[in-house]
Amino acid sequence: MDGMVAIGAGLAVLTGLGAGIGMGIATSKAAEAVGRQPEASGKINSLLMLGLALTESTAIYGFVTALIIIFQS
Amino acid sequence: MNLVPAVGSAAALVIGTVLLVVRRRALAAAQGSEQESDLQKRYKKHLILGVLALWLGCGLGLGMLAPPQQAELHVSVFAPRMTLLGFDVSSSVVVGWIAMALVTLAALWARIFVIPKFQEQPKGLQLALERMVGFFGEYTQEKAGFSSDPLSAYMLTIALYLSACAITELFGLRPPTADLVMTGSIALITFFMIQYFGLQHKGVGGRIKSFAQPTPIVFPFKILSDIATPVSLACRLYGNMLGGMIVMHLVYMALGTFGVGIPAVLGLYFNAFHPLIQVFIFVTLSLTFIGEAAE
Repeated sequence: MDGMVAIGAGLAVLTGLGAGIGMGIATSKAAEAVGRQPEASGKINSLLMLGLALTESTAIYGFVTALIIIFQS
Repeated sequence: MNLVPAVGSAAALVIGTVLLVVRRRALAAAQGSEQESDLQKRYKKHLILGVLALWLGCGLGLGMLAPPQQAELHVSVFAPRMTLLGFDVSSSVVVGWIAMALVTLAALWARIFVIPKFQEQPKGLQLALERMVGFFGEYTQEKAGFSSDPLSAYMLTIALYLSACAITELFGLRPPTADLVMTGSIALITFFMIQYFGLQHKGVGGRIKSFAQPTPIVFPFKILSDIATPVSLACRLYGNMLGGMIVMHLVYMALGTFGVGIPAVLGLYFNAFHPLIQVFIFVTLSLTFIGEAAE
């Protein structure tokens, strides 16, 4: 495997950094909100799931780009 | 026939079975009495050792019967091609047809055998079906802002079809959703639905004017975001399904012939729960964008 291919793939997966930090902050806020008002736990739960899946998509874009770089050149 | 794995596998299977049978006999004898939890604690070692021995025995036995070829990780971002009746199609098409057949047969069975027996007071399967359809109707109303029967029916169909596509992964096939062309086509349908409902609720002039809200400067950006919507929907579903497939490939490759039971537990997350969440996200986002365009 070419050296540049490896460097490119490694750079592409760095998008996971931002996604991880963002999702951690979002989950902490959700846990705080549930602690403050346990009756709203259902709505907070579904909102959290939606937000997490959307934030995760940036990490997925980087992952798919790295895969395409590795396996198609 | 190598002696050591054969003897080891047979011994492990026998020991495992004996341990579990002893535990089951001891627990059944004291059914419902006070000492049941003490007995369960006493026989916990039997459970752990018995399952471990069975797993070891299966692994060694399978390793003897079907020795694994040295496999390196072969992942292709495109689905493998195959020829069907002289046409060169990708495997996603064929597996997609299998998923379609599953959903269609289930729907036909429900229509022919279950619906004619509907009663005034629903219970059982009728209750489940009514709840499902009602949930999608309410969800469409909540997310898209308007109530439309064909739209909620389409969303239910897409949810069932994508779930069936995910279930085919449990049978060892490559899921059709791990193919960018397939997710791209469904996202393209969503794109056309966004335009259709936008034009239906606002008219052509109103829709173009809505691109220029709040200032005309954002006009190109809104057009770009309209185009980026189906791309992001397609890539999100594709990337998640591909990632799950790769992780399961890695697990099977790492465990080799000892892949009995452990991949099933992991598969419960990667092949069952995760795809359902992604399908839910897909439907929610489609409805949200349609609602945004039609508002």
